[in-house]
Amino acid sequence: MPSYKLTYFNGRGRAEISRLIFAAAGQKYEDIRIEREQWPALKPKTPLGQMPVLEVDGVELPQSAAIARFLAKQFHLAGKDNLEQAEVDAVIDTISDINTAWPASSSDEALKKKFLTEDLAKHLQNLETLGKLYGKGGHFFVGNQLTWADLRFYTFGQTCIEAAPDCLNNFSWLEQNRAEVEKQPKIAEYLKNRPKTSF
Amino acid sequence: MSTYKLYYFNVRGRGEVARLIFAAADQKYEDIRYEREEWVSHKSEMPLGQMPVLEYNGVKLPQSAAINRFLANQFHLAGKDNFDQAKVDAVVDTINDMISKYRPIRMEQDEAKQKELTKTFLADELPKHLQNLEGLGKLYGSGGSFFVGNNLTWADLYFYDIAQHILELDENIFNNYPWLKENRQQVEKQPKIAEYLKNRPKTSH
Repeated sequence: MPSYKLTYFNGRGRAEISRLIFAAAGQKYEDIRIEREQWPALKPKTPLGQMPVLEVDGVELPQSAAIARFLAKQFHLAGKDNLEQAEVDAVIDTISDINTAWPASSSDEALKKKFLTEDLAKHLQNLETLGKLYGKGGHFFVGNQLTWADLRFYTFGQTCIEAAPDCLNNFSWLEQNRAEVEKQPKIAEYLKNRPKTSF
Repeated sequence: MSTYKLYYFNVRGRGEVARLIFAAADQKYEDIRYEREEWVSHKSEMPLGQMPVLEYNGVKLPQSAAINRFLANQFHLAGKDNFDQAKVDAVVDTINDMISKYRPIRMEQDEAKQKELTKTFLADELPKHLQNLEGLGKLYGSGGSFFVGNNLTWADLYFYDIAQHILELDENIFNNYPWLKENRQQVEKQPKIAEYLKNRPKTSH
């Protein structure tokens, strides 16, 4: 039985997808949350000077997507075969593209507003397209069962809604998808009890 | 008999890593290359209106990273177990972090500004990414020249491809990174890769 240690800041950010995967799998792990002041001392000890880092039986793995995909595969939440795993990856990459396009850290408020009111919708449309293409008529993104694509969209959706509360109003498939994720008993339990953090 | 069709433009760009994987695996596929004018009429056929797209037994898959990882897994070029595959993914993500800093510079239309941004990228941004990559190669490479586990994986092919763009900015860049230099040489020496590199179409990017 491998031992898992996840190290990140005390926030959801780039680690929350992995925490949701552990929760969905009912898998114990060390959830290490580093305060900002502790980070400079820890930074040079990590493979890339970044977090999150996953330690599995003493070996360190950086990069949030690589970590999440590894965990999803460990716990059978990645897709049932190579093609389904690729479909899941395509959804993940499409969510990444939204983050790349979103000028979230810009000081230009007009630019941020333009993204939210004009560009975000077509990205969300792309996600609905993939859900309908790969979802076998169900509510999950791929193959009629929960995968980390659904968990990732769940975390992304929270970010979206915090920035623009009505962003999913025209995307009933995506809204339904998030509702299905929230209903999963282990996820519901996790969401109820997780620390409330600002990011 | 599985069928593979790769749809992309007639350039290396985001399609070349898939072509390198097919070559390393000695796997036949349809290498469909659309010129810009042709693409317009095919755009609506693709799930996200973008390329590359892989069509596998009739199913269309977008997103170059998803395509590359799928092919690597099909042909045993992804890492020998889940943890090695994760190390490969970590290397790939680190290469992506590097190139994502350069892509906006490449899109800059103002030539003088582009020159300035490129200089800054080479001096201030690129070194830490290359150091990070060497770090991962030494951490996961089991003492060999490949990034993970002493075998060729798509992480090596991806680095090979992206490095070509970096070399166009500074042909001597890898003189300061001997591990990365050796890694690329090992990739080039693989017989099926050498053959492919010799014969592939010469394109602008």
